[in-house]
Amino acid sequence: MQTQSLTIGYTEGKNHKVLQRNLNLSISKGEIISLMGQNGVGKTTFIKTITGLHPSLEGDVHYQNVAIEQLSKQTLSKKISVVLNEKPFAANLSVVELIALGRHPYSNWLGRLSTLDKEAIDTAITQTKINYLANKKLYQLSDGQFQKVMIARALAQDTDLIILDEPTAHLDLNNKIEIMLLLRTIAENGKGILISTHDLQISLQLSDQLWLFNFNKPVRYGCPEDLILQGAIEQTLFPVNDNIDLRTGTVKQLTATNGAIRIIGDESSVFWTSQALHRNGFSSQDTDAEMNLNCHHDGTWHFSYKGELIIFEAIEQLLSHLKTIIKVARND
Amino acid sequence: MITQYFDSSTKKWQRILSGLSLLLVILFGINISLGSVAIPMYSILDYFSGKELENPSWYLILAQFRIPKAITALLVGGGLGICGLQMQTLFRNPMAGPFILGISSGSGLGVAIAIFLGVELGGLFEFSGIARSWLMVVMAGMGSFIVLIGISLASLRLKNSVTLLILGLMFGTAASALISILQFFSQAESIQAYMMWSFGSLGSLSWDELTVFIPIILFGMLLSLGLSKSLNALLLGANYAQSMGVSLTVIRLLIIINTSILAGTITAFCGPIAFFGIAMPHIARMLFNTTNHLLLTPLIILMGGLLMLTFDTIAQLPGVDATLPINAVTALFGAPFVIYLLMRKRNIQYTYD
Repeated sequence: MQTQSLTIGYTEGKNHKVLQRNLNLSISKGEIISLMGQNGVGKTTFIKTITGLHPSLEGDVHYQNVAIEQLSKQTLSKKISVVLNEKPFAANLSVVELIALGRHPYSNWLGRLSTLDKEAIDTAITQTKINYLANKKLYQLSDGQFQKVMIARALAQDTDLIILDEPTAHLDLNNKIEIMLLLRTIAENGKGILISTHDLQISLQLSDQLWLFNFNKPVRYGCPEDLILQGAIEQTLFPVNDNIDLRTGTVKQLTATNGAIRIIGDESSVFWTSQALHRNGFSSQDTDAEMNLNCHHDGTWHFSYKGELIIFEAIEQLLSHLKTIIKVARND
Repeated sequence: MITQYFDSSTKKWQRILSGLSLLLVILFGINISLGSVAIPMYSILDYFSGKELENPSWYLILAQFRIPKAITALLVGGGLGICGLQMQTLFRNPMAGPFILGISSGSGLGVAIAIFLGVELGGLFEFSGIARSWLMVVMAGMGSFIVLIGISLASLRLKNSVTLLILGLMFGTAASALISILQFFSQAESIQAYMMWSFGSLGSLSWDELTVFIPIILFGMLLSLGLSKSLNALLLGANYAQSMGVSLTVIRLLIIINTSILAGTITAFCGPIAFFGIAMPHIARMLFNTTNHLLLTPLIILMGGLLMLTFDTIAQLPGVDATLPINAVTALFGAPFVIYLLMRKRNIQYTYD
């Protein structure tokens, strides 16, 4: 699928409200592409436009070199399937019935499922590993399970392209990763996948391409790592806030006002202890300092300051001790 | 694994559907045997096998009154039920019913005009009974047809189903207001004639009228079966339905036309029968614990017929000459049944919270 000088947006009365203009993008089979941008930049409108749910303002969307307006709804539904960010009206539908709806473009007018349809449903269920959910009703599912069921429905529709609008929103980290890995497998099995998402870290790691939408600027696209090195991600996603470390997806070091602490010891313990110290206005270093902290393997913290050694059993105790030190120092 | 699942569920539903059909036949028999004159079951079997009856007047009662009435009840129950189902899915609103788009108000207005103008011009009560009932049918049909045209045209223009729903309510209120004005300026006897119509009646159809009524309702039911697959897709919302190849404009227009034909015809011949259209889909969904329209449509056609036959049997009060208005009976006995199901089953989930 490719877009040719596509302009997307809304028509309100006689005014066009353009969200993105002159988009020339393409997806091929086997690729997983993440569409990113701030809220309101036109991600959902773009998805609706390329799936034929919303008219474009200018330009075309081509599917295998045919404009999608020239394809019938029926034909298009055999080429592109979607997972949208909306819940169905009937929470009483069972999981199998919902997935079977994916066979809508193929079944006859009475909705009778052929052997082929049943096989497709079976494959979709197996691929998403939701056999254990098959007989449940939709209202019994958790958000993560529901998302997998909706992906299974899209798979059952048997299209070359699956487009998902924020599939990992509202999910916990564990489920986000699971869904993304599942999409990765689906892409490796030969389908093109486009997702809109706000989960930067996971998308940087797992997508073949990023498309970055920005307000009033041309779209940036390419391999995620290239875009990082070009600084495109900071420009697009964090235009106001320059305090983010892209390598870890965390807030960059906060300003240290309370002095430096030398911290050594067990690696993971050092990492988390440093984070707590940073939050409280200390900087950490591995060279000599007035305050010294040794993180032991046995889960204790040995803190020495002005020749006095204190052993703590939790970071919380350490922090409250540090606070008293700072107070005393300020009062002097 | 899935093939097994589908096979076993197909068998289960086939059993349920054939069980319901059998029950329907039995209730049909009971319905036509009871009434002011009780006719024994064996005579009814004799009637259908073409044998002589003990009492020749029974033959007349069965052929001219009870069988047409039972057939009407059967079709009205199923017809109103599927109208309600389709409206509830189309508008994603569990409180929608067949008359939500102002169809009954339209018919009511037609009938009111016929009665009040007829009385004013002095001609109405000089017509014979048959001519008068046909006049009412034609006026009621025209009333609902005009509303239907209005709503269909609007549905082509309006993209949002909820807007359409509000529009239907507006049509309905406007028509009711006109009826009130007509009533305000008319005499007691014409108000009474209108009230009689608004009570609803299953027994006013003769075979002549049934030759019009039966084909229209059967056509509507067949169309409903055909629409079921797309209605299922609509359960996921308009966007999903379109992504699965459903043309929203076409399907919406077909659903509106289908409901209008069914509800309009039923209202024209039997008066505005309330309650049934809204309640029937809920009863079926709760009893059979499914929202799949491919199952619900046949289930409601059967269950609706079954319940309407039961209500009609209650309405004709065995052993008494009088017949209660069907509109009162359906609501009086239907509402407790729905309440019971709501309290007892608690399996219906319309929202996620």
